[in-house]
Amino acid sequence: MADTSLIDGASASISAAPAAKPMPTPGQIALRRMARHPGFWFGGIVLGVFVLAAIAAPLLTPYDPGTQDLARRLAAPVWNSAGSWQHPLGTDHLGRDYLALLLYGARISLFVGFATVLISGLIGTVLGVAAGYWGGRVDLFVNFLLTVRLTLPVVLVALVAVAVLGQSLPLLVLVIGGLLWDRLVIVTRTATQQLVGREFVTAARAIGSSTPRILMREILPNITSALIVVGTLELARAILMEATLTFLGLGIQPPLTSWGLMISEAKSQFLFRPWLIAIPGTALILLILAINILGDALRDVLSPEGRA
Amino acid sequence: MGSFVVKRLLVTVLVLIVVSIISFSLVHLSGDPAVAMAGERASPEQIAEIRKAYGYDRPFHEQYLSWVGRFVSGDFGRSTYLKEDVGPVLARHIPITATLGVLALAFALLVAVPLGVIAALWPNTIIDRIALVLAVAGQAMPSFLSSLALIYGFGVMLRWLPVSGTATWQHYILPAVALGYYAAPAIMRLTRSGMMDVLKSDHVRTARAYGLSPWRVVLRHGLRHAIIPVVAVATVQFGYMLGGSVVVEAVFSMNGLGNLAWLSIRRYDVEVIQAILLVIAATYAVLTLAADLLNAALDPRIRTS
Repeated sequence: MADTSLIDGASASISAAPAAKPMPTPGQIALRRMARHPGFWFGGIVLGVFVLAAIAAPLLTPYDPGTQDLARRLAAPVWNSAGSWQHPLGTDHLGRDYLALLLYGARISLFVGFATVLISGLIGTVLGVAAGYWGGRVDLFVNFLLTVRLTLPVVLVALVAVAVLGQSLPLLVLVIGGLLWDRLVIVTRTATQQLVGREFVTAARAIGSSTPRILMREILPNITSALIVVGTLELARAILMEATLTFLGLGIQPPLTSWGLMISEAKSQFLFRPWLIAIPGTALILLILAINILGDALRDVLSPEGRA
Repeated sequence: MGSFVVKRLLVTVLVLIVVSIISFSLVHLSGDPAVAMAGERASPEQIAEIRKAYGYDRPFHEQYLSWVGRFVSGDFGRSTYLKEDVGPVLARHIPITATLGVLALAFALLVAVPLGVIAALWPNTIIDRIALVLAVAGQAMPSFLSSLALIYGFGVMLRWLPVSGTATWQHYILPAVALGYYAAPAIMRLTRSGMMDVLKSDHVRTARAYGLSPWRVVLRHGLRHAIIPVVAVATVQFGYMLGGSVVVEAVFSMNGLGNLAWLSIRRYDVEVIQAILLVIAATYAVLTLAADLLNAALDPRIRTS
């Protein structure tokens, strides 16, 4: 690498390798491992394609997902003998273009997923770091909150909350994010606990660093990789949760569209037109699979000690 | 051990108190249940009457305390929609969900434990890899999709199994598979890692050295030890299934607790929703308590830490 730093050069000379390349930084090692990991490629590419397709939805289809065309309702997809390229994935029971619904639905599923993880990540990190850093009573309290959360049946509580508080996109994100922070707490807590006893934290304390400074400068940067791994896996869980709530009729509401809603609306048709379920279903499974595989690959690369 | 049990019991009671407060406040968050209960054409007088009859005009903590008091004494309230006491309604729906949960767990264990053992015996072989792929793929499939896929495959195409209702034992097969497979990967991974640890241990090596047959070593001296954490996780998974059965029951039109919860949420039947939330949470709490105590009884390290 061209940007060889002084430290790299120094450590290379200490190891006394004759004319050796400079020692790679941990970041470079991680990048190299990623490049060799098939899971990283598969997960990253599939997730990337979905994100790009969701962003570029208006460029990929001329149709608006809300435009109904009852004359062309329930058209078959192109691989069916009755299908045509006019609607590559066919149309739904209201004559809306299925490809447009799928692309614009991806926006909602991905938005809910990422926004939810921001919220659950914030809750989980605050609770987990506090429990791990202070221990004692704080830890007991966080542990109690965690037990309460795990005792609540999550799908039912989310259903009740959405039904009671009203069905809007921001509220759905808040409800799911407010429930799915359990694994984030467990992971950040353990990661923080492992750091608290380390020399550099003790050293930061010894030179008089304030607690907020230690948390922000010493703890947080060092739990980032654990956070990325579990955050990725939680992204999949949040998207599944949105799809489940929407499927049960209490998540995303028309005129918005999501894959869960497409599957829910196609239920009555699926005996005769199974593709109406299979298309959004395959997209959902593929996305979840890609995110999970990416998360596993990130764990392999970033924290090999965390492997099961 | 005594103080550990007492501590765990206390925590469980505390957790259930907080859960009951959350369940109660959640349902009352919308403001006034009386408005929803009275329906669209109700006059203000009727709403006021309902409010008074159900005690919704009293302070929040008073309402909560009287609800909890009645709940503990076995009076679960009265369903406004079904015009029936909640207790008997729950008693009608619980057996269906309990049966479904037991069958689903049995399915998960039957698939996951043998797969986990095989994967541990031949790690990093094609069998291990296939088991891993199945596990990863299984986790990516939401239960409403697997339910629909099972209905389409076995109910519609092959016509082997019934897909709606609970009339015969065959009706339970597909829902149990749909609900159970989600727990299988976790159980499989745990069996695999537990088996790999125990197969490396001294007593298994000794048993092998004595010349016992390989399967006898694996099953009697290996699996017996590896299965302990699996029992604990399976107990917890059973608790999850009771909450997660809402999706499967809705798709297969099974009249269990999950379906009742879903219907009650849609018709805003306050007393039923509260009761179901608390019953499922309490079941989960008792199951995790049992799993913890079981683990502690079998592994002294847990109760001393």
